[in-house]
Amino acid sequence: MPPLEGPAKELDEKCEELIVKYVSDIRSGKLEGSLNIAMATVSLLEQIISESQNPTAFELCSTIRAVGRQIVRALPQELAATNMVRRVLRAIRDEQPSNANQSGEGAGESLQRLVLAPHSRAAPADTKDLIEPVRDFIAELRGELDSSTQSVCGQAREHVHADELVLTYGASRLVERFLRAAAPRRYRLLLAESSDVKQSHAMAARLSAAGVNVTLVSSAAVTALMSRVNKVVLGARAALAGGAALARVGAHSVTLAAQHYSVPVLALAPLYKLSPLHACEQHHFNVPDSAHSALPYQSSESATARVVAPRYDFIPPNHITLFITNL
Amino acid sequence: MEPSQENVVQAVVIMDLFNNNFSPINKTKPVALLSVAGVPLIDYVLESLGLGGVGETILFCCQDGPTIKEHIKMSKEKKAPWSLTMDVQVIMSETCQTMGDVMREIDAAGLVRGYFVLLGVNSITNVNFASLLEEHKLICKKDKEAAMTLIYKRVSWEHPLIKNNKPLFLAADGNTNKVLIHEKTRSNSNTLQLPLDCILSHSEAKLHHNLVDANIALCSPSVLPLFADNFDFQTRDDFVNGVLINEEILASTLYYKILKENQYAAAITNWKTYQIVSWDILHNWVYPLSIETGSFFQNNYILMENHNFRKITSKLSRSCTLVEDVLIGADTEICDNTTITKTMIDSLIENGTIIAENVNINAGSKLKGAIIECSEEDKNDKNLVKSTSESGTEWENESDGSGDDEFVGFDKVWSDSESCYSSDSSAQSSLPESPVPEDTNIFLQEVIDSLARGYEEKLKCDYLILEINSSRYAYNIQLHEVNFFVIRAMLSMPILVDSKSVLVTVKDILKFFRPILSNYIKTKSSIMDCLRAVEESCIKCDWLEGKAGQILHLLYETDVVDEDSLVEWYDDLKDNESSLVNQTSLVKFFEWLQEASEESEESE
Repeated sequence: MPPLEGPAKELDEKCEELIVKYVSDIRSGKLEGSLNIAMATVSLLEQIISESQNPTAFELCSTIRAVGRQIVRALPQELAATNMVRRVLRAIRDEQPSNANQSGEGAGESLQRLVLAPHSRAAPADTKDLIEPVRDFIAELRGELDSSTQSVCGQAREHVHADELVLTYGASRLVERFLRAAAPRRYRLLLAESSDVKQSHAMAARLSAAGVNVTLVSSAAVTALMSRVNKVVLGARAALAGGAALARVGAHSVTLAAQHYSVPVLALAPLYKLSPLHACEQHHFNVPDSAHSALPYQSSESATARVVAPRYDFIPPNHITLFITNL
Repeated sequence: MEPSQENVVQAVVIMDLFNNNFSPINKTKPVALLSVAGVPLIDYVLESLGLGGVGETILFCCQDGPTIKEHIKMSKEKKAPWSLTMDVQVIMSETCQTMGDVMREIDAAGLVRGYFVLLGVNSITNVNFASLLEEHKLICKKDKEAAMTLIYKRVSWEHPLIKNNKPLFLAADGNTNKVLIHEKTRSNSNTLQLPLDCILSHSEAKLHHNLVDANIALCSPSVLPLFADNFDFQTRDDFVNGVLINEEILASTLYYKILKENQYAAAITNWKTYQIVSWDILHNWVYPLSIETGSFFQNNYILMENHNFRKITSKLSRSCTLVEDVLIGADTEICDNTTITKTMIDSLIENGTIIAENVNINAGSKLKGAIIECSEEDKNDKNLVKSTSESGTEWENESDGSGDDEFVGFDKVWSDSESCYSSDSSAQSSLPESPVPEDTNIFLQEVIDSLARGYEEKLKCDYLILEINSSRYAYNIQLHEVNFFVIRAMLSMPILVDSKSVLVTVKDILKFFRPILSNYIKTKSSIMDCLRAVEESCIKCDWLEGKAGQILHLLYETDVVDEDSLVEWYDDLKDNESSLVNQTSLVKFFEWLQEASEESEESE
């Protein structure tokens, strides 16, 4: 990462308003799923960029960084959102030196030039055509997001074969598409229900309608069944630096069982889920979920019990055999 | 513009509780700004309304309107999430004394366009109001008379939210969820009465006893006129009961809705429920509302294990221990060797709470779940402690490091506020506590009211007798009790309380009510009732202190009581060792009586 480029900029009112709206949409559950959130983030950034008037690269960078910081503070659990901010930030930085090059500075990646780089970054460059390339990049990024699911699912048939017993855990849009794409292979699927039982059941019903042979099992039965399973397919919430992943709570016990029986675990992680963070910051990874997911309020213990309901499980790198991305 | 405006969901928030459950705090600041788990109540309410799809909110303040207006303005400037999607209007009216008044005021002002959500400022919930209101509209399509859908949360019978509220019993039609019986009993009686036709006329009936009232209702446009037409509807419970009793006359029906498992709703009605709801918020039951609510998602809290939260700006000593369920506000400093359990230390205002060295607040000790609120002024803080626990000064010592035992005081806090909670309507609060059972007490109050009115407006005594008799039948009062209470009422009329020369007024009153007296006080036994009433009045009422003799004299002069009964009663008094016996006025009166009778005998 380049060094900080001065203090974070104060965002103007319009910007703030957009961010607050975006954040409250996600917090209230109007926007769901990492893909939708990533898309919304990109739209938000595009709006903010196009509203900024004739900025220098420096100004634009600090605006985006300020936005990113707010998003991280408000939604530490949505790694996809911050990933998108990083991608856009990178695009701006990529555009900037190419502009600088055109203005006739000494070319070549000499050591001196690298050292001086922050300085040149701070220098006001030609701004006229900065916005255009960034917008192009955003359009590209959006296209990539759009096609990511498809290209992940396109690989389904390479991994799932006929007469295999595949196990998945909980409901996930991406996994559902993936398994549906593999449907012609005539495999059998075990679907272990996660804490939102209803969604798992609905997914099982949809897959069954699509012609997949689905058996719904309780997540408690996963270990017992694992010896017969050929493959585990999991939707990752984020792929972390070092090869670990974040997945829905309860997934760790599944991968642990898979490791015990040496069953390969495929984690579906499109590019927007790749995050450069290491799993050492509790703040990001210990996001508590609503206590309802662990214990019904109606139970008599609800007033006295201390409910620990994390949202994600950390899956160590050695549990994952393969990440499937859209590259 | 018009159609879009009609689709906007409107909500009315009543910003006052109209009771003293939160005294002494509510004397210094409005309930709306009472902080629950570090966030003012009003922020939770607005946040939940904003998230729940409400487009326009009317905050109706009866007290402290300007403070609330200021708070709303500040939040808007800070770009609270709700301020983007929701239009908030603060209405002030100093004249409203009850919730019924508020509803009539809203009706008169025509603020509400159609269906609306009605909730109190004490409701904490994460429901989607818009979809609930849609459901209510569907019900209204089926049943044109549907006026209100009440929102309840089902919990287990042992849940403290049930124990610390008035127990609610609800019977409803199993198919339509139409409410048939809605009963809030005051005591934990073990019996319920269920009319037979409630079972017979419905193919399926549901009985609920484990519901928590969230103080949220979805209202049809007909609710406001109903409040306006029935001026005796003071609270929402009055409304509910009134509608259920007079279902045919008012042509209105009620429905109820039990929230889904993942939705939370509860109302903070007293200190105990305050504590429970605070913990529920800390334990993340109310997600997405949380301790972050007021801070616009800026995540200012650091989550430590065991549900301990602290603000980023708080300072913890290395040697302090946070056991569980601890919330530490901004700029708070926890010093060495402190142990904190289940406590919310909250400093919204600049002077942080500092718990000094070696104070040990154990979970097992009686301070279980104390909430130390740091108020604006120090004086204020002391006030709070003194009036809630009996040991205000001891509290101070406590912080200097004495033992824990005095914390027992805090347990009393809860029971105190509970008694405050259960104490009844303002009408009786002027009377000193009497052991008289409930119905007779109300009867007495009614008689006092009718007599006072009759006296003021110089009504005919015949009418008053009629009124008294009808009250008598309404409350099933025995004849001898009526005699007793009529006299009792005459001597406790409000006009006497303020009167400077009590005796003159009493004389006037007795003269005016002479027909009533002669109607009730006829026989020997009724005279004895009358005298007993005088006795009780003289003991209980301050304004009659030391005037028993004079009052008896007045009664004697107007021929209400006769000599024999007086003597008999006086003997009774002596036997019972009543406190009146030795009153000088009384002794003098009987001396005079004896002399008078001797004189008359002599003259004969």
